[in-house]
Amino acid sequence: MSQDKTSMPNREKFKAFCHGERLGEVPLYSWFHRYWTDTPEEWIKKGAPKEIGTGKGFREYFQLDHLHGLEEIVSEINRADLKNDATVQGPGRYHPTPPIVPVFPLKTLREDERHRVETTYSGAIVEVSKEFPWRMPKYLEYPVKDWATWKEYKKRLDPYTPERWPKDWWSFVEKRNKEDVPTMLLMAGFFGVLREWTGVERLLYMFYDEPKLVEDMMDQVLYLILGVARRVVKDMRIEAIRFWEDMAYRSGPLISPDMVRKFMAPRYKQVTDFMRSHGVDIIHIDSDGNIHELIPIWLECGINFPWPFEIAAGNDPVAMRKKYGKNLIIGGGIDKKALIAGKEATKQEVMSKVPYLVKTGGYFPGLDHVIPPDVPFENFKYFINLLREINGMPKLPE
Amino acid sequence: MADILKAIAQGVEKGDDQKVVELVTQAVKSGIPALQVLDKGLVPGIQALGRCFKEGTAYLPEVLIATRAMNRGVEVLKPHLANVKVQSKGTVVIGTVEGDMHDIGKNLVRLMLESNGFTVDDLGNDVLPDTFVSAVKSKPVDIVAMSALLTMTMTNMPRVIEALKQAGLRDKVKIMIGGAPITREFANEIGAEGFAEDCVSAVDEALKLVKK
Repeated sequence: MSQDKTSMPNREKFKAFCHGERLGEVPLYSWFHRYWTDTPEEWIKKGAPKEIGTGKGFREYFQLDHLHGLEEIVSEINRADLKNDATVQGPGRYHPTPPIVPVFPLKTLREDERHRVETTYSGAIVEVSKEFPWRMPKYLEYPVKDWATWKEYKKRLDPYTPERWPKDWWSFVEKRNKEDVPTMLLMAGFFGVLREWTGVERLLYMFYDEPKLVEDMMDQVLYLILGVARRVVKDMRIEAIRFWEDMAYRSGPLISPDMVRKFMAPRYKQVTDFMRSHGVDIIHIDSDGNIHELIPIWLECGINFPWPFEIAAGNDPVAMRKKYGKNLIIGGGIDKKALIAGKEATKQEVMSKVPYLVKTGGYFPGLDHVIPPDVPFENFKYFINLLREINGMPKLPE
Repeated sequence: MADILKAIAQGVEKGDDQKVVELVTQAVKSGIPALQVLDKGLVPGIQALGRCFKEGTAYLPEVLIATRAMNRGVEVLKPHLANVKVQSKGTVVIGTVEGDMHDIGKNLVRLMLESNGFTVDDLGNDVLPDTFVSAVKSKPVDIVAMSALLTMTMTNMPRVIEALKQAGLRDKVKIMIGGAPITREFANEIGAEGFAEDCVSAVDEALKLVKK
């Protein structure tokens, strides 16, 4: 979609960017310009073209390359247990799909004028704002509380449950393999999903009170990941995998680096060694918050591509590139608040980071998290045009 | 006596709640005044942990287990403190602002403030400006603490400040804010006196604010 300086198949082009080739060129991939559900809705309400209301329309309007997140297997659509669910309407629209099969049914338990209490796919009970249901809810109850609840829950985390997989696997594989679209297999992580099942506070206590339970949960996730990965790499072309963790907050990691090394690193290593033995060396990780202390551990474990480098949390992608060089592929890192502030701030933010980062290694520019609705459409378009200008590409049509 | 108080402090710092309960019980039985066990045993323990957190040798799990150990020790002391006036460090009204349901950070701040001697009135999440105002009207309050996770909801913080102004209450309280997108600059911009990056620095900031 974005016009290449040199012609190259898309899958190869993505890998080249990640491997620190095509220096000086700005990769423009939709994956790094994802948005809150209400962002395009707000933009359209204020006069933006209606076509941006779908993922494909958004991609085409901003002329972004497609990086396919392979959610079909470990979550989301094409899973038999979700087939007939209204995943694009009602609560299914804003409750993320966990990697469990089958998911729990969605039910409204009670409501008042401003809030609704409902169950989620993961079996939690949450309170959502009726006005902004896609914003992070308040968790009232989590499904995993102890060994007994975990033993029941883990039954849903079997990689070989038939409903986890598309019914017509081979036609699914053929279709995907034929497409020249770089593909990233989306994985659970060893912290992120655990906190979704137990709650952050309970999980943090568990590291001291029930370390064996934590390890059992992590082992089940490992079993799930490797089971899924084995089948996928055998049959399908994938270029990258992604762990979802969200294991940091604005001041640093939610658990100590020592705990990450003890509990998570050996399991990360098993996954990344397996992937590398099958030619997949692009290992993406999604964690909000300040990740400075986590990056060196991730690199030791073969994880080389963090996102989103939240600026308000003190992340500095330029400093990280200087420290780790091309070994670190960087995604995001553009302060969303600059785009909220206006075009001048956007330009300053982009020009202080993007030219240096694309000249020195793999860098995929994007905001420092998904695009919130308070970023004006015009400013986002201006941002994309700035990136295109660095590439010597013409502006997007008016 | 000094030894057992030191051991209590160490137990809190390590988050060893069973040890703390055992030692606090022993200390009270041996005749050490409850207030002294609190001030010279439990409090120095949680303060030491706070210093470790700031130095980067302790993280949130360690903060949580230390706080739990402290609270279990306080539970043992409570019957013995019934006739003793324990001075609150100040009263804090806390909540996530309108539109924000995310309350993990706010809950950790509440926990740390309570463990460090503050009285905390937790208004919960998605709190309307008027609810903050009513809470400040209903009792003497030193600090209004607000949290926001999103850039879309942080803009509701100045609305709370404005509502307090409208109600003639702004000068009666200090405002402290925090959350993922919040910076000191933003706090200055909206006229909040305090800003905290995490639950431990929130205690330091609150202490500074009540002294002002």
